[in-house]
Amino acid sequence: MSGWRAVPLLSRALAGALGLLLLAAPAVAAPPGKPKPAGTVAGLPVDNALALGERMYRLGLLPSGEPMSSVVNGDVPVAGTAFSCSSCHLRAGLGSWEGGIVTLPTNGARLAIPRYWKFPNLSPEERRELKLQNPAARPAYTDETLAHLLRTGRDPSGYDMHSVMPRYDLSDPDMALLINYLRNLSVRPSPGVVGDTLRFATVIAPGVSEEDQQAMLVPLNNYVARHNQFSAGFGNRMYLGVGGNEMSGAYRKLALSVWRLSGPPETWPAQLDAFLAKEPAFALLGGIAPGEWKPIHDFCERAKLPCLFPITDLPAVSDTDWYTQYFSKGYYQEGQAAARYLHGLDDPNPTRKVLQLVQDSPEGKALAQGFRETWAELGRAAVPETLLPEGKPLALAALEELLAREKPSTVLLWTGSSAFPALAALTQGATGAFLSARLLGGQLTNLPEPVRSQVWITYPYREPKLEAKYSLYADTLLGGLKQRNPETRISTRTYALVQILRQALMDMDRHFYRDNLLDRIGMQRDQILPDYLRLSFGPGQRYASKGCFIMQVGPGPSPSLLRKSEWVIH
Amino acid sequence: MRRNPWATLLTTASLWLSGSGFLAAQAPPPYSRTLETYTVPEVVLVNQDGAKVKLKTLLDSGEPVILDFIFGTCTTICPVLSAGYANLQTKLAATPSKVHLVSVSIDPENDTPKVMRDYLKRYRAKPGWDFLTGRREDIDKVMNAFNAYIPNKMSHYPLTLIRDPKTGKWIRIYGMMSSSEFVAECRKAGIL
Repeated sequence: MSGWRAVPLLSRALAGALGLLLLAAPAVAAPPGKPKPAGTVAGLPVDNALALGERMYRLGLLPSGEPMSSVVNGDVPVAGTAFSCSSCHLRAGLGSWEGGIVTLPTNGARLAIPRYWKFPNLSPEERRELKLQNPAARPAYTDETLAHLLRTGRDPSGYDMHSVMPRYDLSDPDMALLINYLRNLSVRPSPGVVGDTLRFATVIAPGVSEEDQQAMLVPLNNYVARHNQFSAGFGNRMYLGVGGNEMSGAYRKLALSVWRLSGPPETWPAQLDAFLAKEPAFALLGGIAPGEWKPIHDFCERAKLPCLFPITDLPAVSDTDWYTQYFSKGYYQEGQAAARYLHGLDDPNPTRKVLQLVQDSPEGKALAQGFRETWAELGRAAVPETLLPEGKPLALAALEELLAREKPSTVLLWTGSSAFPALAALTQGATGAFLSARLLGGQLTNLPEPVRSQVWITYPYREPKLEAKYSLYADTLLGGLKQRNPETRISTRTYALVQILRQALMDMDRHFYRDNLLDRIGMQRDQILPDYLRLSFGPGQRYASKGCFIMQVGPGPSPSLLRKSEWVIH
Repeated sequence: MRRNPWATLLTTASLWLSGSGFLAAQAPPPYSRTLETYTVPEVVLVNQDGAKVKLKTLLDSGEPVILDFIFGTCTTICPVLSAGYANLQTKLAATPSKVHLVSVSIDPENDTPKVMRDYLKRYRAKPGWDFLTGRREDIDKVMNAFNAYIPNKMSHYPLTLIRDPKTGKWIRIYGMMSSSEFVAECRKAGIL
């Protein structure tokens, strides 16, 4: 029942496959491509032409604003707004493989050189040095052969691309714009690739304790040191052949700088600009700030600089931003889970009366925002919100008065443990309360026993009783640290970052483009790592953990957490 | 239905060939077609409007139904399967036939009702095409029930299932279909 016409080609396929398996590393750095010289393209200034080409590639829109028109599978018409070139070839143009279908690279560097079946990623210079004689599967594309491919699916060697590749109906000027964009896409390595080294940086904002800094820096530096030891084996015989050259050619040493910020957040962008100008980084790894990550997030968007898994529970929440990959939406996601859980209980007759009492802090506001926006998305009416001044605990009398007046079914108490004494007000009625595990921190299990049956906790991590066996792995990177602090989860999150980065570097191979780093993470399989139940990825998915449990605190002086929900994702 | 071991070998080999781009350069592959009997599991899923949907009620209603497995950020198969659905809806608009198109998410963590609504909008889906998500355990049950289980969404494969309303049997199509082939299969199933 194989759907693919691969049988006649099996021997060549397996030979290629075995070659790749033996190499255990896929690709090779592409040489500089041949971008178009300055001037005009299709009668347009170069910058304008590039912007229009990018819109065609990413959004599937013609310069006229109309969708690009194409056909797949022989006779299925597709509008560019349904899916575009970048849906499959990805933003950097290095392609993808998924579901048994390989989407070939379409970036400028790769289009400008011939393609080979064996060791396809070696550069022409490397092939000459290695005296490889095998013929090219196709020659380098000219603009004419590339246009022919885009229109017919047939490459210059006469080979027909898979039927899932759209055959585009493009006018000559529009085709010129798209080809010009492809010629300039991922041509030269991004900043931060310096000789044999890939330079990274990590940002530490003011106000982070020395212990927390070390909880991130020690595992990061240990990983970098171990990675850099690997090249010591390149003199071995196994690296001397063609495959070994391909593998070692994809290897780069890593360097990690620490960018320490100072002063108020509004001064950080200028400091970050100065750091980046002084020591260009390929990407930011982790990073840690006590407050909102948004200033650093916005800098990364502006500088087109990837930032991988900062240690923050206050990320910027966006459906469209590209450059920062987070573990989760943090506090926002807990508020989101409360909304989803309550809505699930209520359906189909939503009559629940809900109040939000919100601590006037970034954390409280993020929780409230997550609830508010998700509640609205679920079609529910807005709920009253009361802002509680930061540093002023919620008074028992105030909560009693509020409950007596409003008679809510549920009150969302987005405050810390300072509200515990006021919770006694709950025992006078049937109102249930929601609190955030992150906001309560280590005080979670000190929740007053008389109200435990009326209080639900949004808990964004794996159940504590199941966590130990996953977190233990993080200790493998802790040399130099006495012990891991399970409450901050900084070293475990850094461990998870390292695992994802390690895979991404292998998958990126020697195609050192910043967008390609993010593309490769987007194509990773789901990961089961410390802290979060599951980290999942996909092109453009920027929050890897997407759910949350609802818990209650069990009885007794050393209570367990009792899981009251499935992993809430809808 | 048992999968052909040679097909499994070739699929695996194709994954190894990521560096060579070998398969992407092939001619359009033919699809395979078998007749199957499936028992729809008793699960409640969520559609693009956030409404709960009993899958068994939906699929066993006696109305013509077509089912596939997709996810919102898929890079290859799903966009093309969905283009096929969209095109079929356009063709069906000119006929009295009311075929219910159902897509079940294999990335339930990311495919929220909002994501699914946006996805259907991109394909200009008309009423009669539902995109369903749900608890991971329930999605696994659905995939298992249709012999479509994959442990990870990146390993999925193109599958279209057409339910014959008269016999209750399912036509299982493995591979990609052209528009004319899709219509022909619908006719064979008696739903056009």
